[in-house]
Amino acid sequence: MYRYIALLVVSTFLMSCNSTRVVKTLDKGEQQITGSFGGPAIIFGGAPIPIPLSSVGYAVGLDTGLTFAGGVHTTSLLFGNAEVDLNMGINAFKTKSNKFGITVSPGLHMIYGFNGGDFSIYPQLEGIAWKEYGNKNNLIFGGLGTWVELDREKAYGEVQEHELMPYITLGHQFTGQKWNFQLEARYIGFTYPNENIVVDYLGPFSTGTSGVYFGISRKFGKK
Amino acid sequence: MKKLALLLTSGLLLSSCLRMDSLLFNPDDSITEYLLDDFDGETEIDLDGSYDLPDSTEHVFTLTSDLEGDLASIYAVYVGDISRIATDTVILYLHGNAGHLDYYWPRIKLLANVGSKNRFGVLAIDYRGYGLSEGDPSEDALYEDSDAALRWLKENGLTDDRLIIYGFSMGTAPATELMANKRSMQPSKLMLEAPFASDEVMVQDASGLSLPGSFFTSLEINNAEEIAKINEPFFWIHGTADSFLSIETHGEVVYKNYDGVYSTAYRVEGGEHSDVPAIMGYDAYVEAVLEFLEYTP
Repeated sequence: MYRYIALLVVSTFLMSCNSTRVVKTLDKGEQQITGSFGGPAIIFGGAPIPIPLSSVGYAVGLDTGLTFAGGVHTTSLLFGNAEVDLNMGINAFKTKSNKFGITVSPGLHMIYGFNGGDFSIYPQLEGIAWKEYGNKNNLIFGGLGTWVELDREKAYGEVQEHELMPYITLGHQFTGQKWNFQLEARYIGFTYPNENIVVDYLGPFSTGTSGVYFGISRKFGKK
Repeated sequence: MKKLALLLTSGLLLSSCLRMDSLLFNPDDSITEYLLDDFDGETEIDLDGSYDLPDSTEHVFTLTSDLEGDLASIYAVYVGDISRIATDTVILYLHGNAGHLDYYWPRIKLLANVGSKNRFGVLAIDYRGYGLSEGDPSEDALYEDSDAALRWLKENGLTDDRLIIYGFSMGTAPATELMANKRSMQPSKLMLEAPFASDEVMVQDASGLSLPGSFFTSLEINNAEEIAKINEPFFWIHGTADSFLSIETHGEVVYKNYDGVYSTAYRVEGGEHSDVPAIMGYDAYVEAVLEFLEYTP
């Protein structure tokens, strides 16, 4: 059942899609649209292949250090599911020089399947430390996040042992006047063994899976 | 720009029916004839010459499968004496989602060696799209093609009490379905090797989350639920190291949900998805199958 199972990895998009949260909160009134592309890697036919997932997002600075962001996951849409994420980026810490800070983003990830009428919701929490450097204010960032599995049961009443789906993220943002480009690596589900679970994930220490994401964003509307 | 946006939006909406259903099937239709013992391509297991059978007992032929008016000629191989089907006990072997009959030929031979050579008749088919069989595979076609095999056996005089159905991997779906919901015949015993519980379990295994299967497939295969309808004796065998269909999340669930008159389970230590008979040892495997076939409630 190799072919079926290898492509089942698409089912991981909930935990693998890049949420549309911001790394650094926007200024009040500033807006941003984002396109993200990338996903987890699996071993298929002996070679690592990336699973491409995509999303589009919008963010707006509601106040200083407070940014609302939301997005639609277009890969999911292709499968007949409406998948959206909503989150609030909160500046938890920032140096006076505005060169280093921490953003905390609580959010919700929701998916509705038009084919079966099923609905799932996953709270998400992420903390990212960022640092600006250079004349162009490029960013490096790293952080820790997790999905929360609210359902304590799986199919046929089996116990859902995964309460959290944690991930580590590390990335770099090339900052332009209007356009930003972001490259990000993730290590998803690193607390869970990745053997004998249908899909051959590419994860170190036989746990979780790794993923690479590329994002492009454009800022506008700063007042 | 507006046109482009409209096109993109329309494309996304129109493609909202993208499902993974067809990806369940991985047929190989590259062969031009069935070679059986002479097939030199990859086979699922390797058997030595001691399991070879008399050529006179190997019959390749076609059946007509009628899926709501969609007729397809599908290929079958019967190992045994066709003229004795009216008195013999027959195993219907339903293979997995890859390859074709030549790929599974050693497995078919192994079953034809249970007890002694040709003690039990063995029938196997290539579903639509597999090997030389016409048409395209689908879930409904799996059931209909398997039922075409049952009709052929019935036409040749087989009765329900002498019919055993054996499903491997994807073949556990038509095996369980035809056992739970009688069509042309009601098999007297069910044998499942490396069964999958449902596509939902696959999705949940892959994601680690309690996602509904309906997010990705429209398949209705549900062995874990269908098995509960079955009262006839049940044989389950599964490798403990199955990295595709986990014994814990798939096999054990199917086994647990069976509530019939008799069941026997073989958890084969170190067995992967496709090599259970080899890991178990062919003699031990054949002995286990024989013991079940000879069981009388």
